[in-house]
Amino acid sequence: MMHCTMDDLLALRAGEASAWARQHAEACVTCRAELEALYQRVAQLKALPVRRPPRDRWGVVRDAVVAERRRRRERWGVWSVAAAAVVAGLLVFRPFWTAPVAGAELTRVKQQSATLEQQLQRYEPEGRVTSGREAAVASALEDRIAVIDGELTRMGGPAPAVDPAELVKLWQQRVDLMQQLVSVRVTRASYVGL
Amino acid sequence: MTISLAVPDILVARAKTGDLEALEALYRAFETPVYNLALRMLRQSEEAEDVLQETFLEVVRSIKQYRGEGHLWGWVRQIAVSKALMRIRSGQLRHTDELHEEYVQAGPGLGVGGVPARIDLERAFERLTPTSRAVVWLHDVEGYTHEEIAERMERTVSFSKSQLARAHARLRRLLAEGGEAQ
Repeated sequence: MMHCTMDDLLALRAGEASAWARQHAEACVTCRAELEALYQRVAQLKALPVRRPPRDRWGVVRDAVVAERRRRRERWGVWSVAAAAVVAGLLVFRPFWTAPVAGAELTRVKQQSATLEQQLQRYEPEGRVTSGREAAVASALEDRIAVIDGELTRMGGPAPAVDPAELVKLWQQRVDLMQQLVSVRVTRASYVGL
Repeated sequence: MTISLAVPDILVARAKTGDLEALEALYRAFETPVYNLALRMLRQSEEAEDVLQETFLEVVRSIKQYRGEGHLWGWVRQIAVSKALMRIRSGQLRHTDELHEEYVQAGPGLGVGGVPARIDLERAFERLTPTSRAVVWLHDVEGYTHEEIAERMERTVSFSKSQLARAHARLRRLLAEGGEAQ
């Protein structure tokens, strides 16, 4: 007598069996028992004990995340220097764009930005205590600074006329964000007594 | 054993900002289900631990892209399954795959590799090939369809179905032979 194959039994379980398999399983005690055994095996698989990780890997994950963020910041540092150089080049080679007042203002905010960069270097989080909250705020600020750096670089490219007032505005925004970032770092450094 | 996989929305929102404390809380919430899933698919504890680590690195990098559609566990599980399947596909487990094939063909009653004749379902399941284990676990326990398994394994639906049938036939044989040897 021909019995159901495992394919037939699985199809029966899924409600996709052929007419022959359905009729046979109804009449055949052996195949009904096999089908029941299949259900039992699956139920037992679902009930297997939950295994827990033998070691805590969070430390490794956290260290990798912190290292990634640090690398990203370093890349942004290089980017911002490049952006500053491009803008400086524009000022030198295209002075006719910039009204004297706007030029002076631009120089001022750029100097402010450079000073804040130096300040930030002194409070670089390498090896220091960083809370999750601080890291989150710093990360958000860094994201926004990166966007502005990208915009400054774009404006310093082969694009035609650049509005000096727009440049000053962007640099001022960068300075504001840098001040906030320094504040976050300084507060944390004071907190841990550094 | 049942593990609660519910995660407060506020925690997810904080994790999306990069908050390390929130990310650690997510890790704590999902480390066991991710490890367990990977262990069942890969069998080896170290492999499962590596998948756990890779999964959470990916979660941290991509959490901003999680749009809150469906349960967060479903999203994390997709990443974990993908990482585990990558290991199976990469052939890192091929050697043990062949050993398992050999063992299964020889039969547990012969005591190949010092394995006791009587085996329970858990040990029988561990003796399936990695691909078979993955298909059985994803289909029968995690509730994936054959279409979903085929897509994630980059194979056909019929491949998934035949793997499941072969795996169940082997489980049945291993358990029956184990019982007879008592």
